[in-house]
Parts: sequence; C-alpha cells; structure tokens
Amino acid sequence: MNPAVPADASPLAARLPLRRPTQGRWIAGVAVGVAAHLDVQVKWVRLAFVLAAPISGIGVALYVFWWLAVPVGDPADAAASARPTALSRLARPQSSDQPGRPWPVTDVAVGALLVLLAVVLVAVRADQVQLQWVLPALLVLTGLGLAWSQLDAVQRGRLRRRAGGRTPVSVLRLLGGVLLAGVGVLLLVGQGTGETVEPGALVQSFVASIAVLGGVALVLAPWWIRLVRELGDERAARARESERADIAAHLHDSVLQTLALIRSRADDPAEVARMARAQERELREWLYDDRPAPGTSIAAALRGIVAEIEDSRSGPSGDAVTIETVVVGDHVPDAGTEALLQATREALVNAVVHGRPPVSLYLEVGPAMVEVFVRDHGEGFDLDAVGPDRFGVRESIIGRVRRRGGEATVVCRPGRGTEVHLTVPVGAEPDDDGSSAETDPSNNRGANEG
Amino acid sequence: MTEIADAVDVVLVDDHHMFRTGVKASLDGGVNVVGEADTVDGAIALVHELRPPVVLLDVHLPGGDGGGGAEVLRGCADLLATTRFLALSVSDASEDVVAVIRAGARGYVTKAIDGPALSDAVRRVAGGDAVFSPRLAGFVLDAFGAAAGDVATGDDELDRLSAREREVMRLIARGYSYREVAAELFISIKTVETHVSAVLRKLQLSSRHELTRWAAARRLL
Repeated sequence: MNPAVPADASPLAARLPLRRPTQGRWIAGVAVGVAAHLDVQVKWVRLAFVLAAPISGIGVALYVFWWLAVPVGDPADAAASARPTALSRLARPQSSDQPGRPWPVTDVAVGALLVLLAVVLVAVRADQVQLQWVLPALLVLTGLGLAWSQLDAVQRGRLRRRAGGRTPVSVLRLLGGVLLAGVGVLLLVGQGTGETVEPGALVQSFVASIAVLGGVALVLAPWWIRLVRELGDERAARARESERADIAAHLHDSVLQTLALIRSRADDPAEVARMARAQERELREWLYDDRPAPGTSIAAALRGIVAEIEDSRSGPSGDAVTIETVVVGDHVPDAGTEALLQATREALVNAVVHGRPPVSLYLEVGPAMVEVFVRDHGEGFDLDAVGPDRFGVRESIIGRVRRRGGEATVVCRPGRGTEVHLTVPVGAEPDDDGSSAETDPSNNRGANEG
Repeated sequence: MTEIADAVDVVLVDDHHMFRTGVKASLDGGVNVVGEADTVDGAIALVHELRPPVVLLDVHLPGGDGGGGAEVLRGCADLLATTRFLALSVSDASEDVVAVIRAGARGYVTKAIDGPALSDAVRRVAGGDAVFSPRLAGFVLDAFGAAAGDVATGDDELDRLSAREREVMRLIARGYSYREVAAELFISIKTVETHVSAVLRKLQLSSRHELTRWAAARRLL
C-alpha cells in the first residue's frame, strides 16, 4: 500500500533538460532554453540577463558561457530521448521545426567584418600609429570566439549526415578564428619590440612563439572537443538503433501472427474484428505511446483493463466491442485507485455486455480525486430496482468505491444512455478495512453477468 | 453517388491509397472529393490550385521537410481564411495532434471514424465550426491543466479554460455529442459550438512555452 503521494510528485512535474531551442530565440536561444528549464516565462529570464549585464558583465558572461556550454536542441526532444528505448514510442513525432536557415549569413558576415578589422589594424600599425593593448586583445578574443562558436552545433544534424563532419561553414569559422587570433597575438608580442632591439630579444621571441602556439592550441581545442562529443553521440545512437530494431522485429512477428490467424478464421467476422482490434491496440501502443514503467501509472493500468475486456468480452449480439478511452492526467496507483479501477472494470463489463455501443470511458486525475465515467447508449438500469441478488453492481462497483471514501452514481436518461460515475480521493489515507474485498473480484463477477 | 446541390467539395490528403479509397467510399453524397494528394508538396500545390472549402489532412505525410500535416498547413497559411482543414490521424500521439491544430487545423478526428460521422464532421468544419473528438478534448483538458482545477477567471485569458469551456470539454471527452452536451448543460447547440471554437482558438494562440512543456511531460509519463 503506497503512502500518500503529493499531487506534484507526478511525473508531470519533471524538469526539462537545458537546451537551446532553435525557435523563439533572439540571439542564441540561451534565454528560451533557461526559461524552459526553470519553467518560467522567457521574458523574465531575458530581463534578468539584461539587468545582470551592467553588474561587471555577469549577465553577458553567463550568456556567453551557456551559449558555449549548452548544446542546441529542443528541450522536449532531449527529455524524450533520455527515456529508455523499451518504453518509448517508435514512430517519430512530427517535427515542428520551421525550415532552418540553409546558410548562417549573419555568422559569415560578422566573421568577415572582424577579419576586415584585423587587416585594417595591421595597415594602421604599418603607419606607425601606436594603438592600445586593448585592440589586439580584443582581436584575440573575437578570433577565439569565432573558433569556439563551432561548438554551437546548430547544424549538428546536417554535419552528422556528412561523413567527416566538415562543412564549409565550420572550416570558414576555424580559418577566420586562426587568422584573427594569429594577428592579435602578433600585435601583442610585437607591441614591445616595435622600435629597438631589446637585450632579451631571445626571450621575447620565445614568449612570442609560445603565445602563438598557445593561441593556435586554444583555437583548435573546440575542434577536438567536438570530435570527441560526436563520437559519444554516434555510439549512443547506434545503441538506440539496435534496441529499436529488436522492438521492431518483435512487432513484426506479432503482426504476422495475427494476420495468419485472421486468414485462418476469416469465416468468423466477430473473431476477426476482435483480433484486428487487439493488434491495432498493441501496434498503436508501441508506435505512438510512451509506456510508463510498470506499476507507476493508473492510466497504463486502465489501458490494461480495457484491453482485457475488449479481448475477452462480446457485445449483446456476440460482436466484438470497442471502448473509446480518454485519460487526462496520471497518478501513481494507491489502494484507492486500485479499488476504483476494479470498480471501473465491473462497470465496463456491465456496459459492454448489457448496454449498447458505443461505450466511452473517461478517467480524470484531479488534485483531490480521481474520477471515472463509463457511458454506454443502452437503456440502463434503475439502481434501486436492482435486486439484492444482483450482487455484482451493488457490491463490486458501488460498495468497493465507497469503502475507499469515494462515491458511485448511476445516471440513466431515456435516449441518452447510461453513465456510471465513480470517484475516489487521491492522496488521502485509505481506510484500513475492506482491503480483502479488493483482492478477489472473481467471486462476484459471475453474479454481475447473470 | 447521388449528388446533392450544396455538396461540400473536399480535397483528400493521405499517403495511403487504400485509405483514400476507403474514405471516398464511406463519405455520403453531401461530400464531394474533388482532388487527392499524397505528399506535402503535392498537397500544398493542389490546395492552392483547387482552393476547396475543406481539406481532409492526414497528420503523417511524406515529403517536404518532414513536417507532415502541420507543414502543409504552414504552406497553405495564406488560404486559412477560406479553406478549412480537418486533421485525420491514426496516431493519437498528443504532440502530433496539437502540432496540426496549432498550425491551423479546425478539428481532429481519428481514422477509425465511420463514414456518416466523418461526413458530418466535414460539413461542420465547412460551416466554420470546430470538430473535437473525445480524444482531442482529453488532450485539451490535459494541456491546459484543467483537470487540476486551473480555470480562467477572465474571458480574454488564453492560457486557461473558462469553467464552462472545461465543462464542455469534459462532456465531449466522456463521449457526448454536441447535441447531448447542449441538453446536459441546458444550453443551445450553437452555444456549445461557440465554446468549442473558443477552446480551439486558445489551443492555437496560447503561449507556446506551456504547451511544449506539456507535450514533453506527456512523453515523460
């Protein structure tokens, strides 16, 4: 028996991972990503960045740091891909991406501008106009920035498609970065040695070469980091693929078997419809639903109950049945919801066997209670007229739910079918009595159908 | 097929030939299939050429940039005032359905729907109404946190449902037809349609951030 579970302990409260989405971004998507991660509105995050910018540049520094460190991607996709494959849907969701920029025009323009600036600087220096240390340093920084910006893997998907991962854009970035950093370093080192030959010229040139090497190493580092990162991604993708292949093989087997069964029993329309429905349900679940881990979801338990009834019961005229199921919200099962699900099962059997299709099932998990509606289009039955011998409805549906502090009502309207409404509180301490009544529903099932 | 004077012209977009044939056979005389397309690009071109009042649009389509039905809607954004899109899907996956609705579809039905109901849905969409299946109503309740009692207080609030809209959505999710919803709440069918259209509008315009988060959370369940 589970202890009371607070409402926000549901998996719905899970936090999205930190990613920089390509949509809704102003600069590099840092604010949008942080907002999605913290679940606040993006305007507050942007405001925070702007307000923190003048405080010795904290805002800017943070932004740049996240720009470099946070990979590009849809937070929702990232969250989904963190799930174990065996529990994930197989079909790809529709990509909601807008058509992406084919060529990062702004990046190239900024790079070209900076290179131009470097050329101008060199020209100015040739005219012996002394400039401050600031400008060369600035150049080194922007050069590094340009080179490091290839970590910004906007085109990661496109990159991966090409064998080497080398695109004109990334090569351009690297070259521009090397050029800028090289010019900057030369300017910095040359600052001291401009006019006269110093006694320590040897030391100077040594320092200069170290500086150049250091600059080049700094510039090349992101390239290497990216290679390592891609290797890891590649490996993970391959593992996922093989898992998916296993699942697909399993699926194909079950579909083939069902088709063979259907062909051999083609003269029994009800049975064919039932098998087709069961197979459809299974395929749908594997393809389009993410499956929760067993025992953590009343929605999954409910789906199991619906599947069992659709597989094993027939309508009044012996035809296969379909239950239209809608579930809103989810919760970890406890004793109360266990009783609710058993009562729902009895109500569904009743609706399927004695009512008239279509049968609808609606489960809603609210903050305080779980509600279930079971509706069919039959004439219904008068609860008060149900004899005490009809132990099924009275005990297995109503009694079971009431013992858990819930309520059960049956509404019949002529021409509008019958609806059974069940509620149990969630998170409340369950009563300690009656737990034996939940464990064995098979006793009263016969009476219910009789 | 018997022609009815004011039959609704429909373009059918689906990549499965068998399914298109089945749909054409099941539609009644009041719906007239004037064209078919099976890819994203083909659909955009055909809809621009024929400008039908209603397009039956599969959510999963090959071609284009892989965006499926939502991409067709984006490609036909200039026609949304005159051409209405009804999404058809076999998938039932929440994010797929929400994607096409947010791209501009006026309703969503599953492919399991029978002929008369589909014809009825087409006429309803052609008349400017929104078509909500029980499943879509469930999505809406989930996405707007209505089950948790998060209900709007003002009319102009886009991110939450009003108490009445929530009631209507709950009844639709419970399998009630518009007529039955109207009878249950003692309002006219027209009022029910107004509520449903208002919910559709909120679903399309509400802040993207919340819905993205919701779709992700659904997949985490």
